[in-house]
Amino acid sequence: MKTQWRYSCLPIVVVAAALAASPAFAQAVDTARIDAAGQNDWLTYHGSYKSYHYSPLAQINANNVANLSVAWIHIPGRSTRGLQSMPLVADGVLYYTGSYSRVFALNGATGEVIWSYFPELDEALIARQTHSPYNRGAAIGEGKVFVGTMDGRLIGLDMKTGKVAWDTKLIDSQKLTVGFTGAPLYAKGTVIIGAQGGEWPGRGPIFAVDAATGKKKWEFLTVAGTDEAMKTWGSDSWRTGGGGGWMPGTYDSETNTVLWGTANPAPLYDWSGGDYKTQGARPGDNLYTSSVLGLDIDTGKLKFFHQELPHDAWDFDSAVGEFVMLDRDGQKLVVHPNKSGYIFVYDRSLGLKNVWRITENSNFVKNIDPKTGELIGRRDFKAGKVDEPLCPYISGGVSFNSGSYNPRTGLYYKLGQEWCMTLEVMKTTPVTAPQAQLNIGADFKIAPPPGGEIYGHLDARDPVTGAKKWEVRFPEPPLASVLSTAGNLVFVPDSRGTIHAYDAETGTELWNHSDGTGHQGGIISYSAGGKQYIAVTAGFGGMASDDYAPTFGGVYKSMPRDDGALIVYSLK
Amino acid sequence: MKLHVGKLAALPSAVLGASLICTALVQAQSATPAPDNGFDVEQLFAGTCGFCHSDGGRAASKGPQLMNSPRDDDFIRNRIKNGKSGAMPAFGAAFSDAQIDQIIKYIRSLKPREG
Repeated sequence: MKTQWRYSCLPIVVVAAALAASPAFAQAVDTARIDAAGQNDWLTYHGSYKSYHYSPLAQINANNVANLSVAWIHIPGRSTRGLQSMPLVADGVLYYTGSYSRVFALNGATGEVIWSYFPELDEALIARQTHSPYNRGAAIGEGKVFVGTMDGRLIGLDMKTGKVAWDTKLIDSQKLTVGFTGAPLYAKGTVIIGAQGGEWPGRGPIFAVDAATGKKKWEFLTVAGTDEAMKTWGSDSWRTGGGGGWMPGTYDSETNTVLWGTANPAPLYDWSGGDYKTQGARPGDNLYTSSVLGLDIDTGKLKFFHQELPHDAWDFDSAVGEFVMLDRDGQKLVVHPNKSGYIFVYDRSLGLKNVWRITENSNFVKNIDPKTGELIGRRDFKAGKVDEPLCPYISGGVSFNSGSYNPRTGLYYKLGQEWCMTLEVMKTTPVTAPQAQLNIGADFKIAPPPGGEIYGHLDARDPVTGAKKWEVRFPEPPLASVLSTAGNLVFVPDSRGTIHAYDAETGTELWNHSDGTGHQGGIISYSAGGKQYIAVTAGFGGMASDDYAPTFGGVYKSMPRDDGALIVYSLK
Repeated sequence: MKLHVGKLAALPSAVLGASLICTALVQAQSATPAPDNGFDVEQLFAGTCGFCHSDGGRAASKGPQLMNSPRDDDFIRNRIKNGKSGAMPAFGAAFSDAQIDQIIKYIRSLKPREG
């Protein structure tokens, strides 16, 4: 009788599982659903608007992770400069992007291709770009998948078919060189995407587009975007100021605000000396570069901001970094890492609450005042050789990829990078015609920290105070994102190509597996058909990882920089 | 029309009424690029090339070391003009042949820094 009951129920279970993994079963992805951060999905780049990069799934856990093995693999092809994107999952369907903004919708349980979309791009333009042709992810919402392109477009695709719903040109990339490599953000009927910028002489726009029609709703210029900001760029330097917002931020539904980090000013290294307010290439604080912004999602109006590095003279922008939304002792907080390795803690209006540092080796400032945010003992160079190496290196104290906050342990798992650089600051002139070119302002070279070697580390810390519970070191800085789960696990895909699982409480390594090439992209967990999966992108190459072969040799010498795969794990 | 940065700066101000040139200069703001005959390759490396060719081309990093490069001039010229997919941008539209020759001359003259 018991057996009979089991058999009779089996078809129902199979049908239910098939339905759950079927796009036909898909429910609308809207702001409320992303806000709620469902159990089985990964609906936006940072997981949910809370930006935890955390999965509440616990089928895979510290007790059984040793049984994790590859469920399926997908090869996107043409992975020039590897794979750098963060997959998304809704209702059992996995969406992800590859280089050249290729988009795939796959059955999350089997890897079967449901649809694919390869946009026709301006290849001649892309051949002239330096930070290209990688893509860091898509957004989903209102039945569409949204992706940016390196030739300055934002495209909306039908989520079920991959057919183009709209294709909106936002930037004159032919002139400005920059395009979109970062993932967009969907919220409240709006798709937000920030342009590349930083070292290019432009004004670094952030755009909002109507999700239904593709029509531009607003544009915010991160360089001198207000009258107040215009006064912080002497000598008309705002015209070539850089800026941008090349990684996705998040949305705070309680305040109807988009939170977004901005890139550095150009040239990266200024020759002002100490009097940066009146001297050098771009006299003044250079608002709103290297800042975090609160923009009204309906109008694009600036509501509040904090400039993490006034007059950034070291290329440590705020475009990197997640916005971790916490409720702590009755306070609603936001934690945001800056590329320098300093971690800023704010209230929800970006009022500063604390600053702490994840890196050991840091000397661009002596400290940042945790109460006022003032840069104490800042190093503002003059033209010429800089005697003491600058720490961290231009690739940052943290990567553009994200850490993970685990609400069960209360710990923030974040990678730090220990490396420095020698440099000679040189006066340069912005080049804007016939096409904008990089404006660095120095000759530089990677260097080990004084008295030590280059390394990276995964830290488990209190996200508000920075108090460290444990640390795991890596011989070369890992560059990929981190995932933690309710199964008491932290996953770190490293640069050599090994994915590691650690006990979230202790840092003890519980499992590892080779993915065959270096990691520098996203990692997520989801459920399809009642089964938990871990999906990670592998594929090396790009602005940080291109340094690894000449710097570290070893496995990096033969590691391809034009290859990649999406690898999905489940329990055996 | 191929607009060279250096040529723009060499134009007398009276000619700047031409709309195309005005556009370029407005965007360039304080850009005061040198004329072709004053093309400053050292500055070019500090502004653009050095992002990948470290220490002014003296050290390998994202791109190869250029000092003492075993590649011949034709190879380097072709690489600057046409780039290499996924590794080096094409600069054929940005620099004239004469400027590329000057870049090659700079590369050939590279010596280790003193001290």
